[in-house]
Amino acid sequence: MSTRYIILTILLLGTSFGLIYLPEKADYGQVKPAQFLYEIDNPARFVSTDLIAKRLIERDPSLFLIDVRSEDEYNKYSIPGAFNIPLDNIASEENADYLDQPGMDVVLISNGGVYADQAWALAAQKGIKNIYIMKGGLNEWFATIIKPVAPPETAPTEAYDLYAFRKAACIYFGGASAGVESAGPAVKKTVTLRKKKKKEAEGGC
Amino acid sequence: MGPLTYYDIISPEWNYVIALIIGFFFGYILEASGFSSSRKLAGVFYGYDFAVIRVFITAVLVAIIGLLYMGYFGLIDYKVLFIHPTFMTSAIVGGIIMGFGFIMGGFCPGTSLTAVAIGKLDGWVFTGGLILGIFFFSLIFPFIEKWYYAGDMGHVKITDYYGISDGVFTFWFAVISVIIFVASSLIKRRVKPIRY
Repeated sequence: MSTRYIILTILLLGTSFGLIYLPEKADYGQVKPAQFLYEIDNPARFVSTDLIAKRLIERDPSLFLIDVRSEDEYNKYSIPGAFNIPLDNIASEENADYLDQPGMDVVLISNGGVYADQAWALAAQKGIKNIYIMKGGLNEWFATIIKPVAPPETAPTEAYDLYAFRKAACIYFGGASAGVESAGPAVKKTVTLRKKKKKEAEGGC
Repeated sequence: MGPLTYYDIISPEWNYVIALIIGFFFGYILEASGFSSSRKLAGVFYGYDFAVIRVFITAVLVAIIGLLYMGYFGLIDYKVLFIHPTFMTSAIVGGIIMGFGFIMGGFCPGTSLTAVAIGKLDGWVFTGGLILGIFFFSLIFPFIEKWYYAGDMGHVKITDYYGISDGVFTFWFAVISVIIFVASSLIKRRVKPIRY
């Protein structure tokens, strides 16, 4: 038994013994905390209700709205064209493809924005890009689009243009100019998904 | 973080270049270990030369230990490494057929190409038979397709199947392999040496 073999055997047994005591790396499939914090600080993760209204009127095909409220609330009223995924189900496997759609802008909607924020946090931790929150949620939607408020006399011209746009959007989305309680039944959306091809590391002999 | 092409550190076209380089060194090492000689390869069966089993187990152990340590240091994400799907029944049947071919011919597909590279006629014949066999298989494939996919267990690892951790499994595998190495060298000492 030459010394070379003895050294190699000791090396082999030593390294494999060390493997037993290697601590398990906990892998939750999340992005690093620094990256997550950067995404939180980024104000561009919010989109305004005016932008959503504009894109809906223009029938922008790359917009995908997800309503994270419960099903009853969704049936009572939701933005036409929104897709309902209640917050409890948003992390499940079958809904993962709705959140992560490359090439589409996914916007999360809830009543005030808190539930949408929670859903956004889940998606951002998984590293999903192109996912946004409608700022102010449906409360803001009602306050700006469904029941727009006339700007005061001293406001600049842009505010008046915005108000004109909001009035037009209000009529488009089915509400009268004032005194609207609900804007009609929700339009259920049937969604055809383009399945993202999961690229696997391929191999073979 | 590897695998490099999966995480887009290098573009996928590099796969072919890397495959070429790895293949070059693989063939070089096979030939340098003397695996172009059919007598050396069939020696495990007849019991006079155990080079095949030693090289094979050493390669497997180096790969496992290296991958696990690299996974620990974050150099590779071995959760995305490709695991062959396990087809139990067809693996057993295929193994028996391959075993017959190996012992009768004295080559396995990779080493037959190294024998072709050094000009051995039996390597050429083996490779020709290999190609004929593949062609014949493709002709009868519609009839044996059912048995080809028999016993599908999915992309399962042995450690997942038996529920033991990777490190423990590798350690015991290393211990058993050291025993195999010692036993093979003892047997080789007793057996009359054969000239190739």
